[in-house]
Amino acid sequence: MTLATPPAGEPRRWRGSPRSTGAFDRSRRRLFLPFVVPALVLYLAFVIGPTLAALWISFHRWDGISEMRWNGLGNYSALFGDPTFLTALVNTLIILVVAGAAIFAISFVLTMIVREMRGRSFIRSVLFFPHIVSAIVLSIVWGFIFEHNGTVNTILSKMFGAEPIPWLNSDNLFSMILIGTVWISTGLYVTIILAAVDRIPRYFYEDALLAGANAYQRLRFVTLPLSWDVISVAAIFWTISSLKIFEFIYAFGGTTNDLPPPAVWNSALFVYGESFGGRSPSYLFGYASASAILMLVLFTVLIVVLRRLLRRDSIEF
Amino acid sequence: MNFENPGAQAGVLQPRSDPAVVREGHDRPPSGGKSPLVSKAGADPLRALGRVLVWAFVTFNLLVFAFLILSSFKTTTDIFSAPWGIPSSLHLANWENAWNESGFARATLNTAGLALGASVCTLAVSAPAAYVLSRIRTRSAGPLSVFFALGLGIPAQVTVIPLFEMMSRVDLVNSLLGLFIIYTATHVPFTVFLLTGFMRTLPREIEEAAAIDGASPFRSFWQVMLPLARSGLITVLILNIISMWNETLLGIVFLQAVDKYTVSLALLNFLSSMQFSGADYGGLFAGVCILVLPMLALYLWLWRRIIEGITLGAGK
Repeated sequence: MTLATPPAGEPRRWRGSPRSTGAFDRSRRRLFLPFVVPALVLYLAFVIGPTLAALWISFHRWDGISEMRWNGLGNYSALFGDPTFLTALVNTLIILVVAGAAIFAISFVLTMIVREMRGRSFIRSVLFFPHIVSAIVLSIVWGFIFEHNGTVNTILSKMFGAEPIPWLNSDNLFSMILIGTVWISTGLYVTIILAAVDRIPRYFYEDALLAGANAYQRLRFVTLPLSWDVISVAAIFWTISSLKIFEFIYAFGGTTNDLPPPAVWNSALFVYGESFGGRSPSYLFGYASASAILMLVLFTVLIVVLRRLLRRDSIEF
Repeated sequence: MNFENPGAQAGVLQPRSDPAVVREGHDRPPSGGKSPLVSKAGADPLRALGRVLVWAFVTFNLLVFAFLILSSFKTTTDIFSAPWGIPSSLHLANWENAWNESGFARATLNTAGLALGASVCTLAVSAPAAYVLSRIRTRSAGPLSVFFALGLGIPAQVTVIPLFEMMSRVDLVNSLLGLFIIYTATHVPFTVFLLTGFMRTLPREIEEAAAIDGASPFRSFWQVMLPLARSGLITVLILNIISMWNETLLGIVFLQAVDKYTVSLALLNFLSSMQFSGADYGGLFAGVCILVLPMLALYLWLWRRIIEGITLGAGK
């Protein structure tokens, strides 16, 4: 995988093969440009170009209609005085760290249990399923379950006569969003880790068992080191996808025809809320772009640090 | 072309025996993927608790989806009075309303066209690039692969404002064609990334054989590599269809007219219209099902490929 191991130039294997493959290889090189250019052009025009444009816009005051006015680093310094942005920043990091830690811990435990269970492929596909369902749907369901007169409160009051708990009031809403995020993401990471663990030859476990290793020691000295490559890639994958979370939070605006309360915004909602979103959009394109760029830079740094922290010599087996 | 080159096939198809799996005197023969550790570990109460938790999680997911489907056939009063009950009668009016009056028919058509068309275009553009990046070793192939992979880390909220400006200059805002182009282009990095990784794992010998037999590189790509990579191509196609079908952020920014809405926008629109037209949860869940069921069908049909594709991205 490219993120894990940048493709090194493999040694040429054609050496010593008949001359015809050498000629084949040479004429294949002529395909390089025509084959790569269309993809590259689309990528440059619709991903890289707009990213650089966002950087440029972030130095300006701009509402999309009137002239752009140079603002230097003004947008960036304003961001740090904006409680809404600081909340969004903290929320994004909480999703990354807290939900991430929960997802990986739960996924690891589940993987260890599921791999030895009967019906594991059924279990895996049911756990994985939320990943392919629209996050809007999951958000609606999540809201419905925890509503004032929703499923959970109904069950609690029938079983224990409990008063309805305000799960979704402003104090609890973000925690419920976090738990919901863990719910929808866990199956994906169970699947990824399970695939990695399945590649470990069984005799390692048998040797460990013969040597008297307990479950924790088997995890610590066999499973973790031998699936480390995949786990570190999965951690980076989570970092990237946590920044992209949008729909699950957005749909908590629900029937109000508006965005959810700013207290639960993350970076993506902040950008949308300061540009196109809400009942009366604010079209602060420069300001919104500055926040997007700031988060992109922050997450790039985080990924670089994470890769360094997670780097181990890969073990061939 | 003659591919029956015994030397090439030997490397690919040689049956491999794995002597490590069964060792005399120590192990029972492997039985259907069940680990010999199971019997030993089964007595552990912690493990039993773990199994209960796993089944609870599985049951929760299944209940949620049963709930979605059941609710789409109920009246709103039924949903609240007996959320887990079987619908008293098949209340098909929800589906009729959602389909005909709330614009889900149009939205389904729009989304299906977008997702299918754009994912095929993405594939058509990305497969050749992945082929040369994985097979031709020029100085730029490695850095270019990394450059494409960088695109995976750029979230839509960074690019959405410049994209909006760009597309409004060429009058492609509030246009399905505009969104089609954007979907195609923004899925290129992921597709190139996944396919480059996949094609690297494919054996070179068959292509070598084709070369010896005098096939041109283009023909070798078209007639050898693409069929070889078929499973990877289908997998990434499906993953892109799912991602485009569920996409929302670019959709709400770029589409304003109701007749251009995608299914997720129609659902959000329905949700916010409940503020004025009253709570029609039955209709809401019918809309939810219209968004979920096509993906559920795709998943039931191709779950093995989908899961393989996801793990392919993270594995080697």
